[in-house]
Amino acid sequence: MAKKTYDLLFKLLLIGDSGVGKTCVLFRFSDDAFNTTFISTIGIDFKIKTVELQGKKIKLQIWDTAGQERFHTITTSYYRGAMGIMLVYDITNGKSFENISKWLRNIDEHANEDVERMLLGNKCDMDDKRVVPKGKGEQIAREHGIRFFETSAKVNINIEKAFLTLAEDILRKTPVKEPNSENVDISSGGGVTGWKSKCC
Amino acid sequence: MEEPPLREEEEEEEEEGDECGPEGALGKSPFQLTAEDVYDISYVIGRELMALGSDPRVTQLQFKIVRVLEMLETLVNEGNLVVEELRMERDSLRKEVEGLRTEGSAAVQEVNLGPDKMVVDLTDPNRPRFTLQELRDVLQERNKLKSQLMVVQEELQCYKSGLIPPREGLGGRRQKDTLVSRTSNASSNKEEKTIIRKLLGEGKKNKKCFSILSWAILGSLAAWTPHRITCGWPL
Repeated sequence: MAKKTYDLLFKLLLIGDSGVGKTCVLFRFSDDAFNTTFISTIGIDFKIKTVELQGKKIKLQIWDTAGQERFHTITTSYYRGAMGIMLVYDITNGKSFENISKWLRNIDEHANEDVERMLLGNKCDMDDKRVVPKGKGEQIAREHGIRFFETSAKVNINIEKAFLTLAEDILRKTPVKEPNSENVDISSGGGVTGWKSKCC
Repeated sequence: MEEPPLREEEEEEEEEGDECGPEGALGKSPFQLTAEDVYDISYVIGRELMALGSDPRVTQLQFKIVRVLEMLETLVNEGNLVVEELRMERDSLRKEVEGLRTEGSAAVQEVNLGPDKMVVDLTDPNRPRFTLQELRDVLQERNKLKSQLMVVQEELQCYKSGLIPPREGLGGRRQKDTLVSRTSNASSNKEEKTIIRKLLGEGKKNKKCFSILSWAILGSLAAWTPHRITCGWPL
């Protein structure tokens, strides 16, 4: 039997307006680093990070999308297949908060029905420039029945917690299927994707 | 050079004035007087002064009249210069307006092509050049290469950490079969094997790291690309 490098593969997606800090949130989580220079993501990018939850090694494949409208048709084609979607807004940017409903509609239109969603209010370190009260974020999250965190990629607040919580929520929905010695069940639909050591 | 129509009209008027003889100059609008007209006027006045005889009062008046006529001549010359300058300025402005008008009508024509059309300046080095589909393809290729790099890096890590004993190596027959049967993109397949071979040497057998890492990650990435070009993901 081959030695596994991970038990489960979760595909996550980051969406939200341009400049809210999606790439920084991901960079903080994957590399524990922060860069102040703003470079707009072109289309789509990804990072991989393996975490351990409930004794399972979970490979997180996290797709980072461009927030700019002009990449819309490219980015929406990646919604399908995502098991978890993080919708990020910027607490210092009212417009990015107003657009949440637009992003939620995008999820409804393009993502799997059972996708796990999460709302993040990023840049919470910049309280002096805050225009979106925490309560408003909590309220809209409650209305849509999704989890909410205020985060800061810059000073590392709630970043790991948000990703791990999302992964846990996906894991909870994942049917517990103990792999036999040779095979790990693979479903290419919306479910858990693992690996197989034997050819089909 | 083509004369603007207004100018022609003005000249016609001037010609009409000339037809009336020296006296005609006195009937002209002061704004249309030329130096020639002033000379005509002084000729007419001089002639009439002469007719008045040699009265010393007439002579005295004559000096003053000459002085006034000289002043008039200067003013007329000056005025005409200004008019000429203004004319030139008007002509150049007229040309400018015409140029803008042609540009404008061209722009209007473009707009008339349709409400969602865009005008592209072909001399702009930063003009849009590539299609969304081309960008999509490039991004997919980039992400595929990135995942391949990760595969190789992880595999290398396996070796470094002693997870795979070096003597076992990679590239078993079974793996090749697996890859070929699972991946429709044969060229990337070959490429991938080449990288692995280079790194780890050929002809040795190990079905541990390689089979798990390489196609599990690649397969899962490929399975998620919008067009599923590299299928290879067992259903």
